[in-house]
Amino acid sequence: MKNAVSGLGLAPDAAMITFPIDMFLPGSDIAALEKRKQEFYDALTQWKPAFAQAAPGVSPLVSVEGATYEEALDKANYLLITNLWGDGLPLWPATKERVDRIIRGAALPRDHVIGKFPPRGGITTVETCAIALAMAGGRPEYLPVLVAAVEAFLDPESNAEQLQAASGSAYPVVIVNGPIAKQIRLNSGFGCLGPDPQRPAGASIGRALRLIQQNVGGALPGIGAMANYGGMRYTNAVFAEDEENLPRGWLPHATERHGFAQDSNSISLVFANGAINIRRRGAKKETPEEDTLQGMHRMADFMRTPNLTNLTGYEKGTPGVIMIPGVVAQTMARLGWTKRSMREFFFEHSKIPLADLRRNGGPAWIEIDANPRVRESIEHDPWPITLKPDNFVIIVAGGGHPTNSFWLQGYSPRVIGREVRVPESFDQLLVEADRDLGCGSDACMI
Amino acid sequence: MVKLDFYDPSGGIEVTQPHAPRLDKLAGKRIGIVTNEQWQAFRTLPLLKKLFEQDFPGIEMLPIDAFPQGNALIGEEDTAKLIKKSGVDAVIVGNAA
Repeated sequence: MKNAVSGLGLAPDAAMITFPIDMFLPGSDIAALEKRKQEFYDALTQWKPAFAQAAPGVSPLVSVEGATYEEALDKANYLLITNLWGDGLPLWPATKERVDRIIRGAALPRDHVIGKFPPRGGITTVETCAIALAMAGGRPEYLPVLVAAVEAFLDPESNAEQLQAASGSAYPVVIVNGPIAKQIRLNSGFGCLGPDPQRPAGASIGRALRLIQQNVGGALPGIGAMANYGGMRYTNAVFAEDEENLPRGWLPHATERHGFAQDSNSISLVFANGAINIRRRGAKKETPEEDTLQGMHRMADFMRTPNLTNLTGYEKGTPGVIMIPGVVAQTMARLGWTKRSMREFFFEHSKIPLADLRRNGGPAWIEIDANPRVRESIEHDPWPITLKPDNFVIIVAGGGHPTNSFWLQGYSPRVIGREVRVPESFDQLLVEADRDLGCGSDACMI
Repeated sequence: MVKLDFYDPSGGIEVTQPHAPRLDKLAGKRIGIVTNEQWQAFRTLPLLKKLFEQDFPGIEMLPIDAFPQGNALIGEEDTAKLIKKSGVDAVIVGNAA
């Protein structure tokens, strides 16, 4: 609640009376309200916010000392944890030297304000991003992707204000298109959801984004974010589309969904709250046609789940991101499939019979939804899990092996795209990355 | 000794508007209730209404259906306009979780 009022420009405090969750459950004892009624009376007559404003947009320095560097590093990590600035794993303290190095990856001025990060409303600058990236073990060439992801996150259409605080355990998925993916060692193949020492960019960028969500946006578990489980939150999900293995005639996601030029650098932000592997391949003597059709049905069957997080993006967002490996995409293309025909298939075969929805109480959630298009959807039987086929996001990514596909269950009011801008010195940063991490080409990969 | 200086990563915040002023008293005031219809609000908020009415003579507590209800509506600008137009001295909003 303090985050919410802070995000509206009020002092980060509120006249609120809090009770344990038990009182808010069906059949609960609400007698505590009467016992504590004076608190309500005082809230309306005597309450004052206890907050002193500091200079906005300025990141102050904090200090630790140790007898050795190791001891100082330990103390820095203890301070990060006790100030609720950590994620439980070791962090690099964002020293001035480290942040200055990261800032070299910025195409915008250091003090450029990207926006206020919801719900707390922390002022988010390019420097704020660099601080988080420094803490997350990032490198300067990662900064353009992180800044673009933060820009997308702060798009008013993203509804990040609600998703940051909601109980549904939303996490951002950042899909990267364009040559920058390979240049900065972002994975699109085997293990692209990480971890991967050969392509480490996704882990650092995603971890930095999570640190910004928490430290600047106030999404602290159980305090500012009521996410019951918070899955996938250490590094979020940051990966690239496998454009080299896109079949001829299949457009990259960024071009198809956002209209960005092919070979331009961009990111696409989706919120998800589920992640599940689907055994896609057939097991016996299926023909390619049978193997493909069975796999498509198996994916659609996973999508046909009545847990209703898809209501969030029903009209303009997405029910989720389906990832298929390039080798599967190539086979499907030879059989005449396109991303469009796949989306139409998923739309038709993921519909849920209304009788099933009624059994689990689904219609109540549909009926109270703010969006009239969602409320109207209950007239259809079977009920489509999204308004139109175009809402499905299909990404060619994953290792060159045909057995599995992957479903990132959507919780995303929109799919937000942003171009990635790089500084003039970007090529030099890539040379330095080669120096530090190895040549980075496929020939160097294990 | 080794000293490490590093940035506070939390970013600043900017206060652009004050909280609503508090009331000098509750007796004789007109109080609105805005409900998100979640978390047993249909029980908790009517009980609050009753308690205020018992303890403060002349207080007017508007019923919970005086304004649009539900998460989808209570944050809308139209709801805010209705509340202002109603002439209430204060509003209680519930329930969050």
